[in-house]
Amino acid sequence: MDASIATLQSAFRQGAPEAVLILTAFVVFLGGAFRPGKLVWGFVCLLGFVGALLVVLWHPFDLSKCVPTVSVLWTDPLCHYTRIVAIVGGVVLLLASWDELPHTQAADYFACLLILTAGVGLVGAANELVTMFLALELISIPTYVMLYLPRTGRPAQEAAVKYFLLSIFSSALLLFGFSYLYGVTGTTNIAAIHEAFARREVTMLPGLVMAGSLFVVAGLGFRITAVPFHFYAPDVYQGTGNGPAALLAFIPKVAGFVAFIRLLGFTGPGPVLSAIEVGVEMPLLLWILAAITMTIGNVLAVWQDDVKRMLAYSGVAHSGYMLLGLAVNPYLADKANGGVPAILFYLIAYGAMTVGAFAVLQALSTDNRAVSRNDDLAGLAETHPGLAMALALFLFSMIGLPLTAGFAGKFQLFVGVLSTTAPAESQMFRWLALIAAVNAAIGAFYYLRLIGIMYLRTAIRPLPGRAGLTGVLALAACVGFTVWLGVYPAAVVKFTRNAGQAAYPVHHLAGRP
Amino acid sequence: MSLPEPIITPAGLEAPFDLSTYYPILIYSVIVIGFSVVTLFGSWLISPGKRTAVKMMPYESGMDPIGDARQRFDVKFYLIAILFLVFDVELLFLYPWAVVAYREGADALWKAEFGRLVFCEILVFFASLAVAYVYAWRKGVFAWR
Repeated sequence: MDASIATLQSAFRQGAPEAVLILTAFVVFLGGAFRPGKLVWGFVCLLGFVGALLVVLWHPFDLSKCVPTVSVLWTDPLCHYTRIVAIVGGVVLLLASWDELPHTQAADYFACLLILTAGVGLVGAANELVTMFLALELISIPTYVMLYLPRTGRPAQEAAVKYFLLSIFSSALLLFGFSYLYGVTGTTNIAAIHEAFARREVTMLPGLVMAGSLFVVAGLGFRITAVPFHFYAPDVYQGTGNGPAALLAFIPKVAGFVAFIRLLGFTGPGPVLSAIEVGVEMPLLLWILAAITMTIGNVLAVWQDDVKRMLAYSGVAHSGYMLLGLAVNPYLADKANGGVPAILFYLIAYGAMTVGAFAVLQALSTDNRAVSRNDDLAGLAETHPGLAMALALFLFSMIGLPLTAGFAGKFQLFVGVLSTTAPAESQMFRWLALIAAVNAAIGAFYYLRLIGIMYLRTAIRPLPGRAGLTGVLALAACVGFTVWLGVYPAAVVKFTRNAGQAAYPVHHLAGRP
Repeated sequence: MSLPEPIITPAGLEAPFDLSTYYPILIYSVIVIGFSVVTLFGSWLISPGKRTAVKMMPYESGMDPIGDARQRFDVKFYLIAILFLVFDVELLFLYPWAVVAYREGADALWKAEFGRLVFCEILVFFASLAVAYVYAWRKGVFAWR
């Protein structure tokens, strides 16, 4: 009883980094309403990020006295990972969208960015369905505002409305799925739900469990742009500015995959479920989702003549690669290779290369001319050799060439898919690896085509470009991460392995056969 | 059929899942369906039934349902509606707190351990709404133009 009380009372201390972020957001919202300004509020926003990062790094919370089935938040290594990725990502996104923001709207944009980062951190920490849902909404709602803020043209309005409607639709699906899980297990605590699954109490109602899981997968599938839910991505990325597009390509995917890992019980305070306890349907569903998402994303990306649409479909394909890790995780004997750690690594790699690619577009665009068509980039190697080289690096990384982040990430995911031990499943996953390899080849085609356009053609209409200091800094950070993760991935691999490890052995429950 | 055993979790005893305890939902849905069927059938049965052109039009909140969907509204209606919602939800949230948390027979242990914490939480909630209120005021939402 005392342990439960102490656990509940610790919720505020566990959420300290998010409290710092949200307090800073309040200051920026209020201050910006009294005195608009980009420089001062951007600086305050950066201070908030740094403060939250310091709290994350130097104030680790001791979980040993907490009761998992009572705790609302669970600040384990996975949460630590999510917070660091969110805050570093937030800083890079802040710098990347700096030049695009009008003076009067900058404060609102920055405050929304702070709240959204707090939301991602809370998704990593959530150990309760209600907290998880609120954290995901804390990401979605500022995104609507950010999509609408920068521009007021017709395409931007279409993008904002499309994203808004589909996002609330997906939230409804997720909530519906949560209500089934609650109805079946009688609790909203994620660790307790997994215990109920591990005890096989819920097998008497397999239909309800399956329906609930299906709705949850659909709701989260929207956030990671898995295939039946990917339709909004190209239109929204194309219609909005480069900063919000980079944000949409990165942040919801981090949150979506971390939420998947938590809800499927791959890493967390509850028991880690084996393939039989999850039910064979779930890995099979993820298998199908991975195969379709990769294939449709890559095939549709081939037909795009707009870089932002191409990046959207390529993001869909990369989500498919990451779904490989989710599908195979229950069947892995050694969960340190492939599976969850590989997804966590790939998320960082994907973020660096995708945000970097949008940062290049941002550096080339001006207020009067938005660069997004393939032809706009013709002859970029002559007019802007530095930017062309950076974009080529990101595209090579998306192909997965060695010495780039994309290679290290794909390598880990593929190793995971090929190292299943059960005979029947390993056959199934070899097929999946084959599909992924074919997809990587299709992907190489359209990425190389863009590199060809940049290096082999001459410029039709030279681009002015407006790369300011902040844009160059964001670009440098993305280049740095892409090269670092490719050349020397060991440090990050260790970090993601630590984050993705299961806290509890598979069958830790007492009194089980 | 015998009832399944209660489940022991680290949080304590929990009732097992039992579908039959959900019978109020069944009663509710029967009432809902019954009400709509009875209303529709009843009005068809007892209405005089004089058909005019206006009466045959689908009813859409008093607006003409045929025409351009892009009608313009003044945005101030939306702003007021949203602000109303903010305070409405605030009240909705405060009411159960005020009634349940500090009532006479409240659990002594709960009061000792969480009484202050929950009070501080409510203050944080107030503060965040105050921030939203000041923000709206500075952005000129309250000026009825």
